[in-house]
Amino acid sequence: MKYLHYILRNVRRNPVRTALTVASTGICLFLMMILVSFFAMSDEVNTGSRVHNRLATLNANGFAGVIPIARVKEVAALDGVEAVTPFSWYGGKYKDEVMPFAMFCVDPDAVFRVLEELTIPKDQLNAFRKNRDGCVIGRKLAKERRLQVGDPMPLKGDTYPVDLNLTIRGIYDGPSDRDLRMCFLRYDTFDEAFRRVAASSGRDVSQFAGNAGMIFTKCKNASAMPAVSRAIDDLYRNSDYPTRTQTEEAFGKMFEEMMGDLRGMIRLIGLAVVFSLLCVAGNAMAMAMRERTTEVAVLKAIGFDRGRILFLVLAESMLVAGSGGALGALGSKALFAWVDISPYTAGFLPFYYIPWSVALQGLGISLFIGFASGVGPAVRAAGLPVVDGLRRVV
Amino acid sequence: MGAASSIELRSVSKEYHRDAFTIPVLVDLDLSVAEGEFLALMGPSGSGKTTLLNLIAGLDRATHGEVIVHDQDLGLLSEAQITRWRADNVGFIFQTYNLIPVLTAAENVELPLLLTSLSRKRRRQNVATALRIVGLEGREHHYPRQLSGGQEQRVAIARAIVTDPYLLVADEPTGDLDRTTAGEILDLLQLLNREFEKTIVMVTHDPLAALRASRTLHLDKGRLVNDVIQEARVPAAS
Amino acid sequence: MIPLKYNLRNLRVRWKTTAMTMLGTGLVVWSACLLFGLVDGLEHSLKISGEPLDLIVMRPGSTNETTGGFESSKADQLLTLPGIARDEAGHPMAAEEILNIPIAVRGDGSRTNVIVRGVQPASRRLRPDFRIIEGRDLEPGKGECIVSPATSRRFRGAQIGGRLDFGDREAYRVVGVFTAGGSSAESEIWADFQDVVRNTGRSGSVSCVQLRAADRAAYDKLREAIEGEARFKLAAIPEPVYFQNQSRSGVFLKGAGTLIAVLLTIGAMFAAANTMFAAVSTRTREIGTMRALGFSRRDILICFLGESLILCALGGAAGVLAAIPLNAWTYETSDFNSFASVMVAFWLGPTALSVAIGMTLAMGLFGGMMPALRAVRLEVIAALRER
Repeated sequence: MKYLHYILRNVRRNPVRTALTVASTGICLFLMMILVSFFAMSDEVNTGSRVHNRLATLNANGFAGVIPIARVKEVAALDGVEAVTPFSWYGGKYKDEVMPFAMFCVDPDAVFRVLEELTIPKDQLNAFRKNRDGCVIGRKLAKERRLQVGDPMPLKGDTYPVDLNLTIRGIYDGPSDRDLRMCFLRYDTFDEAFRRVAASSGRDVSQFAGNAGMIFTKCKNASAMPAVSRAIDDLYRNSDYPTRTQTEEAFGKMFEEMMGDLRGMIRLIGLAVVFSLLCVAGNAMAMAMRERTTEVAVLKAIGFDRGRILFLVLAESMLVAGSGGALGALGSKALFAWVDISPYTAGFLPFYYIPWSVALQGLGISLFIGFASGVGPAVRAAGLPVVDGLRRVV
Repeated sequence: MGAASSIELRSVSKEYHRDAFTIPVLVDLDLSVAEGEFLALMGPSGSGKTTLLNLIAGLDRATHGEVIVHDQDLGLLSEAQITRWRADNVGFIFQTYNLIPVLTAAENVELPLLLTSLSRKRRRQNVATALRIVGLEGREHHYPRQLSGGQEQRVAIARAIVTDPYLLVADEPTGDLDRTTAGEILDLLQLLNREFEKTIVMVTHDPLAALRASRTLHLDKGRLVNDVIQEARVPAAS
Repeated sequence: MIPLKYNLRNLRVRWKTTAMTMLGTGLVVWSACLLFGLVDGLEHSLKISGEPLDLIVMRPGSTNETTGGFESSKADQLLTLPGIARDEAGHPMAAEEILNIPIAVRGDGSRTNVIVRGVQPASRRLRPDFRIIEGRDLEPGKGECIVSPATSRRFRGAQIGGRLDFGDREAYRVVGVFTAGGSSAESEIWADFQDVVRNTGRSGSVSCVQLRAADRAAYDKLREAIEGEARFKLAAIPEPVYFQNQSRSGVFLKGAGTLIAVLLTIGAMFAAANTMFAAVSTRTREIGTMRALGFSRRDILICFLGESLILCALGGAAGVLAAIPLNAWTYETSDFNSFASVMVAFWLGPTALSVAIGMTLAMGLFGGMMPALRAVRLEVIAALRER
């Protein structure tokens, strides 16, 4: 690359302008990374869940439907099933905060076999299994709220009229792309309390009690999954509560689909940002080339052909935009690897990171911006008649 | 040398079009320059001397007629070919030096060599040689703004000769310089003409500068009005 | 002061640079309008949904209608309470309602949860400006439903004459399209109360009771009775308060909007600075001349800051203008409380406009500051010598 140092010198020629262009590109790409990662990350996590061979069974009618708890045992008895737990959304308040973190009613014997990637010390798991008032919380939740094993966990019902005064019996940990802020409570404890409350109010709750909400099934291996999935749905097809079983990946995807227009809107904003940057970078490059008209003419007089001039200008503009892109894309990747922003999203995001695919995409976009914004000035410079260019100084 | 015709212009005309007007700049011009000549072009502003220089250097094309330099009819070359031809055959020297401000003296001189396939080492050697010829050893790493006007023009001359071109064209090379410095630059051009056998075409309006040439052409309104072949004056100082 | 004409002429002479900068800043302002227009739309819809004299009765402790169910025996008694407003025909303006959240399929095949609300006749009067704009209203007991225009456009089978299928046991024939003044009801599918109860097998319970008090005094008495009397022990939540709490999903939009607005403003600020730096450096000699003519440093500062502001204002205005057509747009996403689909009609309202103005000012002022200061610091003599 014998031209590299000349290109680099040109980049540094007007340091303020280059710095402003790089900063502008960097900041906008930083923002784009944040927005795009939001979906790319959940895609990646969803796809990544494949290895766990899990199935999610809901009422065919969706979240609001009922799945009788007795079915957990029936599913567990099916061929190819390794472990099964109910996974019922408790959706309560902690102290007086509405829905501060996710709370699920689970089977303490099975939940950590189903969610195999989560780890919990053996003695704590045993304590959770032995104590009906027990609950287990994630490491990050424990850290942020300074909670320890043995601390009380008072929950107030919102979705259900059931208040529970629990005690933390264990703290689970897991990979960084898992929700480490959940609270698991025992399904049996919850259901018993619910029946008690219902009985005292004299209300018929037969259809609400004993609702597993969702059944989470871990299959022995991937090849067993389609058969198990079919077996479950076939089993309940003609019951009062038909089911719909899907892989964990498809289940996760359903949440994304629920976001509706959000994805399109983020794409639209991303597009606007790219166009805006095209103008910004293109403007900077055009201004730079305007100042260098004579120089370009001299280069051409000396014998630099159109192709070389095009190359020099495009390389410069791609270098500037690419630096901005590297700063924004790789910078955001590094920043979110270092700082965990999820506590500030009010439980909306259990974790946040920039996937490599997105960061590299960002870098690619910035190079595209450099290229596209450089084309105009480059073509103009390459097409400049030498005589005109030289005359401008004299 | 001497006998072969280096530059041959046959009934060359050049017109510019501005709006509906046609402005004739050069009118039916014939010229023959021998190899190794040092030609000075003189004439009032607008007489067409720079245009003539541009035609000879392959920067511009004649409207009518033929321009043949070193046996090459420039009118037959495509844009890309003529660019290549300039790189191989012509060295340029401008009134305002036109050095690249962000490159050092050595890097400026190296610029035309980037177009060749020479190795980095060979490029270094050629740059050093060119800078030695113009008397700028030790200034390789200075930037243009750290040099005086005369030194800048020496760098420009080094850049013009580093590829060892056949022809040097100079447009008012001393126009921005004081008399003493101008003398030094003209000494250098004479040296290149005599020792290195370069054909030189120089536009100037300084009669003293023209006297250093071996031949002076006077132009007026696009026509040749006077053609003087002279014994080039030996610089007084040397 | 240096006349504004000078700046305008300069912007026109450098029209390419001006246009590029305008486009750059304009797109940035447009992006922010996109999000804050939705914030405005959401807040507007929640605001008009909350009638001051309306109460939503739910199970105590519940924060959402979808989870607030209680016994229908209590609901029946609620409807007979004194103090409830009456319509022209003398019927009480109170309705039992039942909510179900089945899965619906959008036109593109993707799925989401929608709220199906089983309503009683009075439900219509309890929504602002309820009207049927196409087809007819539903008839009770016939398995019919009505939808909003946005729902009709978006979901499979939600067009008049179509059928919305929610599993084997729940399906409704679409007979009409309704609007409700842009309130949150327009995110829902409305069917007959009894039809929904029957289809979902939830006889004996309601999700909520909506009612309107006759006046202030009656309103307070009603609240007292519903929350205090032993036969009820329910929560009577004022509608404005209820909808205020539902604006949580707006928090995300606001957060994302703020992030986008702030970062993009900084980005655009740099772009404006670039343009203004170039303007200053190409006009160095002019600045020297003006100073020599007697204009003060302050005049120069104001002149260049003003030019920067005009430049960004042009961009900002272009961005806002380009956002106006979005007013015809309805955005659909899910509510983070109920996981049910919500429709938000874009509205370029006060929040969006003030954000746009704020961004423009910030870009113009901060982007113009450094270049203007450079212009101010130029020495007269040196500036005049500049080529």
